[in-house]
Amino acid sequence: MRLLASLAAAILALVAAAGAASSTGSSVLVVLEPELDKRKFSTFFGGLEKRGYELTFRAPRDATPLVIEDDVPKFSNVIVFAPSTKSFAPDLLPQSLVNLLSHNVNAIFTLSTAQTPLTSLASEFSLIIPPPHTPLISHFPKRSLPPTTIPITPPTSHSILTSNLPPILFKGIPHALGTNPFLVPILKAPEESFATDSDSDSGADALVDAADKGGEGLWAGSSMGVVTGFQAHGGARALWVGGVDVFSDEFAKTEVSKGVKSGNAVFCQDIAKWAFQESLVLRIDSTTHNHVNVTHDADNVPTQYTTNDMITYTTYISKWDPESRRWTPYSGINDLQLEFTMLDPHIRTALPAVRGTPGKYEVTFRAPDRHGVFKFVVDYKRKGWTHLHSAITVPVVPPRHDGYPRFLSAAWPYYAGAISTSVGFVLFSALWLAGDAVSEKARGKKKLE
Amino acid sequence: MLLILAATIASAAALSITAPKALVLSSDGSQLRSESLVNPPSTPITLHSTDTLKLTFTVQEKDQGVRPHQTFLRFYDADSGEEGIQPVRVSASGKAKFDLNMARPPLSLPPTTDKPIHVSLILGSFTHPPAKIYLFDLVLPESQPPPQHPDEASFHVLPEIQHTFRPEQKVPPKAISAFFAGLVVSPWLVLITLYSSVPQKLTHIGSPNILGFITLLAAFETLLLWYWVDLRLGQVLLYGALLGSLTVAAGNRALSSVAKWRVGK
Repeated sequence: MRLLASLAAAILALVAAAGAASSTGSSVLVVLEPELDKRKFSTFFGGLEKRGYELTFRAPRDATPLVIEDDVPKFSNVIVFAPSTKSFAPDLLPQSLVNLLSHNVNAIFTLSTAQTPLTSLASEFSLIIPPPHTPLISHFPKRSLPPTTIPITPPTSHSILTSNLPPILFKGIPHALGTNPFLVPILKAPEESFATDSDSDSGADALVDAADKGGEGLWAGSSMGVVTGFQAHGGARALWVGGVDVFSDEFAKTEVSKGVKSGNAVFCQDIAKWAFQESLVLRIDSTTHNHVNVTHDADNVPTQYTTNDMITYTTYISKWDPESRRWTPYSGINDLQLEFTMLDPHIRTALPAVRGTPGKYEVTFRAPDRHGVFKFVVDYKRKGWTHLHSAITVPVVPPRHDGYPRFLSAAWPYYAGAISTSVGFVLFSALWLAGDAVSEKARGKKKLE
Repeated sequence: MLLILAATIASAAALSITAPKALVLSSDGSQLRSESLVNPPSTPITLHSTDTLKLTFTVQEKDQGVRPHQTFLRFYDADSGEEGIQPVRVSASGKAKFDLNMARPPLSLPPTTDKPIHVSLILGSFTHPPAKIYLFDLVLPESQPPPQHPDEASFHVLPEIQHTFRPEQKVPPKAISAFFAGLVVSPWLVLITLYSSVPQKLTHIGSPNILGFITLLAAFETLLLWYWVDLRLGQVLLYGALLGSLTVAAGNRALSSVAKWRVGK
């Protein structure tokens, strides 16, 4: 009886720990610097644990637990709450962290006004960091909070954030966004904010001088970002947050206006959902191609096509559903494109969703009249979504000797000639064999006479 | 400390500006336009590539000139979303002056199109409540568009490419083909006409050897016709070999019969 009970408990525990809402894995390593207290972030960490993540805490200088060992990552996600740590353990150095991203490990980085190895790592992600000790301040809106704590109104509709969130309290540094298209801006600084190290009105002249100096000049305005995501090519996501206080309990509980609590708690869970690959995650399940009007069968894919063939290409795409923790077919992409490429795209056409079958996208097109080795290329990249890539190589050969148009009307005289030659030959043989030979006697008779 | 600061801000009046004035001068110094900005002007101020805009105002708090921490001009293009922030130098008595010389534009100017830019003034201070004042609309000469990353285009829908196929081969009209086919077949008429006047008697046509050989010969020709229509090389060679050996044997017999008849049965 006790054995059964313990067995049941073990199975239940296994099922409960069956996975977090993330599509890549539920293990999270939190690198927390000793100056920060874990209990001050209980709202954020508690929210993550409620969604099924297993958090492991570690100081930046600790040797264990290792985040990557022998080139195999030990955790699926990393949170680095070490904004003012200047020295890290060897497996947390910037090169190692970048290596993690190429192994599909997601990361959240936080920065601060101090200059740390993470500051130089940020420039690898096309984020330009202001000089050290220049926090972001804003005199707007008029509030009882200090100028360095800024309420930022999030965009009303954003693919990553819940809509209509209350203003989010932020304290930290801004960053300028490079033109790299892999960057996903999530929260931008308010237009009246700027980064400066002055804390009284007498610093006004220094601000003007900074702008006159040229170069990067003055860090101001809404072109600066405060929370930015980075979608790496292999699927991993990195999140850069300008200050660690966004995640704190204190900011989550503070009221931004009468009776309205800040949106920090929901905001932090939303950005963690995106960073840990729960939301906006797509994948290609399978792709097939075949001649038109032939049922697609995985075992029956043609090994080559002829020029001017009609080809049908089908792909099945799913989206990760964090609620049910499954990949579900997704027909919501309306700008998917297929390229039929040989060095350069010869054909680029839209790949629309098929009504009635969720997740199926299909297009029929005519193979070019150029022969060669072509590729079906699906390359779908949009800000915030995982990148979809698929390339299938297929040869396109010129027609066989009997694949060309035959029995043309222009050739009728030639057909007539050839056939009449055959007929004539058979007739002549028949007549020659069947007929009588002229007799010798008759010939001889003539000669004599 | 925070309470004292809050109290200070609460008691202070909001910042404001007095005597805001915009002056547009051409490159030779002549005045093109002069506006008082107490109310935003009805038409946008246009600057050409050699003009200069001179902006003057005084920052005040309760009729007293003051130098706030933040005096920024914000240039904002609502269509493209481009923004530029330019700090304005304010003297200790609150007098502010800003020159915008289009011959040497400041770096803070955003990329411009032909649409007007909204120009507003942002005043912020640690000790006074802040103020944001909309000044005027500005039309600047078009600039280069902002630089784009070379991969940026692949993150949007790319233009469709369609392959131009070779045009279908043109076939001459069937009437001409039919006429020339008829021309090719026409000698048969001549042959049949002439042959009917030749007194040949087909005495041995009924002989089984001859008939057999002729049938096999006709079958061989039919095989060639079938190859033209349908068969593959391997098949026609196989059938041809079989049929050919039969035909050769039949042909031998036919010729020997003819020889026998010639010698005299």
